[in-house]
Amino acid sequence: MVKITVNGRVVDADPTKPLIRACHDNDVDVPMYCYHPGLSPVGSCRICQVEVKQGEAPGRVMVACRTQPVEGMIVDTESPKAHDTRRECLEFLLKNHPLDCPICDKAGECDLQDYAYDEGQAEGRSNEPRRPMEKRKSLGDVIVLDEERCILCSRCVRFFEEVPKKAQLTVSDLGSRSIISTFMDRPLTGNYQGNIADLCPVGALTLKKFRFQARVWNLVKMASTCVECSRGCSIQVEVLRGSDVKRFRPRANEKVNGHWMCDYGRFAIGHANADGRLEGARIMEGVTLLQSPIEDGLCAVRDALMSSKGALFVLSPYCTVEEGQALLELARRHRAEIAFVSPAANALKDDLLHTGDPCPNRRGLSELGIAGDTPLNLTKRIAAAKVAVVAGERVVEILGAAEVKALPATVALYAFECHPVEARALRCEIGIANHVERAGTVVNLDGIRGPLAAVKPAPRGVRALSRHLEDLARLSPLSKESASR
Amino acid sequence: MKAFETYLLDRAKVEGNHQLATYEKLGGYKGLEKVLKGGMTPATVVDEMKKSGLRGRGGAGFSTGMKWSFMPDITKDPRVRYLAINADESEPGTCKDRVLMEKDPHGVIEGALIAAYAIRASAVYVYVRGEYRLSHDRMAAAVKEARAANLVGKNILGSDYSCEVHMHKGAGAYICGEETGLMESLEGKRGHPRQKPPFPAQSGLWSSPTTVNNVETVFNAPYIIERGAAWHAAIGTQNSKGNFLVGISGHVNKPGVYELPFGVTAQEILEEKAGGVWKDRKLKAWFPGGSSCSLLKGSDVDVVLDHDSLRARGSSLGTAAMVMMDDHTSMARVMEVIARFYEHESCGQCSQCREGTQWLSQIFHRIAHGHGLEDDVATLEALAKGMAPGKTICALSDAAAIPTLSAVKLFKDELIECIRQKRDPLAAPAPKYATVGAH
Repeated sequence: MVKITVNGRVVDADPTKPLIRACHDNDVDVPMYCYHPGLSPVGSCRICQVEVKQGEAPGRVMVACRTQPVEGMIVDTESPKAHDTRRECLEFLLKNHPLDCPICDKAGECDLQDYAYDEGQAEGRSNEPRRPMEKRKSLGDVIVLDEERCILCSRCVRFFEEVPKKAQLTVSDLGSRSIISTFMDRPLTGNYQGNIADLCPVGALTLKKFRFQARVWNLVKMASTCVECSRGCSIQVEVLRGSDVKRFRPRANEKVNGHWMCDYGRFAIGHANADGRLEGARIMEGVTLLQSPIEDGLCAVRDALMSSKGALFVLSPYCTVEEGQALLELARRHRAEIAFVSPAANALKDDLLHTGDPCPNRRGLSELGIAGDTPLNLTKRIAAAKVAVVAGERVVEILGAAEVKALPATVALYAFECHPVEARALRCEIGIANHVERAGTVVNLDGIRGPLAAVKPAPRGVRALSRHLEDLARLSPLSKESASR
Repeated sequence: MKAFETYLLDRAKVEGNHQLATYEKLGGYKGLEKVLKGGMTPATVVDEMKKSGLRGRGGAGFSTGMKWSFMPDITKDPRVRYLAINADESEPGTCKDRVLMEKDPHGVIEGALIAAYAIRASAVYVYVRGEYRLSHDRMAAAVKEARAANLVGKNILGSDYSCEVHMHKGAGAYICGEETGLMESLEGKRGHPRQKPPFPAQSGLWSSPTTVNNVETVFNAPYIIERGAAWHAAIGTQNSKGNFLVGISGHVNKPGVYELPFGVTAQEILEEKAGGVWKDRKLKAWFPGGSSCSLLKGSDVDVVLDHDSLRARGSSLGTAAMVMMDDHTSMARVMEVIARFYEHESCGQCSQCREGTQWLSQIFHRIAHGHGLEDDVATLEALAKGMAPGKTICALSDAAAIPTLSAVKLFKDELIECIRQKRDPLAAPAPKYATVGAH
């Protein structure tokens, strides 16, 4: 570490990292387009100009992303010279930018727009027509390129070179005719394409699935964790006010996912937004399921647990640590067996992020002492049990809807699920919140804890599993009492 | 003009000099022999160059000996090192290296080998402009001959020094003449200049220490070695030593490449070498060193052509490519052509250059075609100041901004007149086309 002065404040800086990092780490705002903390610096956009003084020499305006901090360096990000240089640079960047912010998906989270508001002059000096280019060029199934908006920062080019290490994009042609393109206009491939839409500082690269879906300032954003594999990438869940989840985006976390996430996780908003939710409780009366108050459903579960010894608890791998803990206590109290469904690894595994293990909280549940078992074994075990409680979102889907449906009526099946369960054996089902509607903790394969956030309100009559379990604990007499009765 | 001794173009004038036999008959490869067999160490060669006062002829005019001495100490840094010869001569007006490569390719190779020895390079890459087909072919043939005569390759002339010479053809991009762009291009990448530091001497070709020299620069080396640094240092002015090649073009009677010592005035060159301005017209403006240095007025032609004198007049020697323009020339049109060149050749990395060169070109185009607007001249000046100096990765942005600034400064009235009249008063009359069926 070296000591440098940034805007009059002495701070520590890592000499192996560019100056812009030292500025950002100390809450000094320096704009950037081509620089990205997850990629190698190129210094081509020239917007991060700051005034640097070393020794006796007069201050020089330099790009902060290609300057290494040196002991005793004096940095002024707000000097008139630095300001002017940045403003000039911004004018050039805006020269051919179409300024179609009203119809641009990036508006509201666009670095160019933000900085133009901060620094730019209100009126342009250009009398020239703007460069007409391809407005919507498809780059495969995930990404659309708007060449007019592109400021050629080359983050997307470097992303493919440096992160998945398979170059797919390049800057072709020269000078003001430069465009981002793939070789021979081939579509982009791979599980990490979506990241370039996040990387793009302007609205040039947009996700086909997010285009025109929401204005970003209407999105409620909260930090959460991806539950599509055991990596548990740190993400941001973004919900359109009063509507659905619109987007999952990676959140920087050096320990887990860096700045990236895979497309599989990114576009897994289907489960979060699925219709046909199970609301309240439904209790089997004779041959029909009757919509009942939740308390009645919980009482039914309690009665079943108390009336028979050796019930089986089957947990979804999506259960959080807190839910696992509560279920484990419940199971112990009723001397029930407990296991979580652990499906086989899938083929999505890669060297970068996706682990191929579809159990996001395998480690968390295992550390609690809950063992995993295959769906096949577990359906057999359920079929052999008298009372079975399946709990957690997508537990029936993972066990196999057909297998659950075919369970013999000799089993009394109680389900805590997001969606209605179809089974002969079903005695009662109670609706629970899904992973964007409840808070909790999951532990990824490296033992790093990630939060789940309740970003979206659960549908009416739907509560988190942990709430149900709390109530159930309140309803259940202590095991001693139950034994003495 | 005082009488002076010529040497640079002496051999080039001899028919058949591009062949080894003729070249050796004219005393070729004596310098290399002296270096390799005369017991000169690389350090003494570098010293000799420093003492000679030779300055790079590629445009920046940096001391060649100094540049060579920037290479890291071989005892501390055993990495392989390279010499790149910049023969990507594409600045408008510059054509001197072409003469050397076409007429005296062995001279270039000999100079390159001396330079390579001085910096302990194990390979020389000659990056020839793609359009220079004859230059490339003559150089390639000369390398082949030299290799056969043990002048290139393993144990040159029986010494323990080995050096390979590789020819490389550019693909027609001006930016590949920028030293870091040239290195990227040589590595097989797009010719996007690199941010400095690290400088080529620390991390150049394939991250090895590299020196990039202009053709004419290394061409001087054999003469300095053979005749001594003192001889070279005695020619020229205080800070500009030796003879240099002037490529004079434009509205003159005898355009061409001439050899001259530093210290003669532009006037003398124009009158005595180039035969004066054509059609008995007056000189209106001129570039002293290619299109990327400041324009000078015709009255500035009395300037001594060397680095210091030109700097004092607000311009620079550049590559000593004098482009002369007579008083019938429209400056709006001149700048339109120049700005268009830089727009076309910008690599597109830096925002200022990519957008700025296009913007300048658009404005000059409008002015020259009668669509100028009142605030255009002010905008040009502001833009050029936003593009330079040193605001971008390489100097192409500066190269576009410098002539613009000088044109706005020196010929403001003319540009304003174009805008006011909504036409270019000096524009060539529109060609008269025969109407259909007239013949």
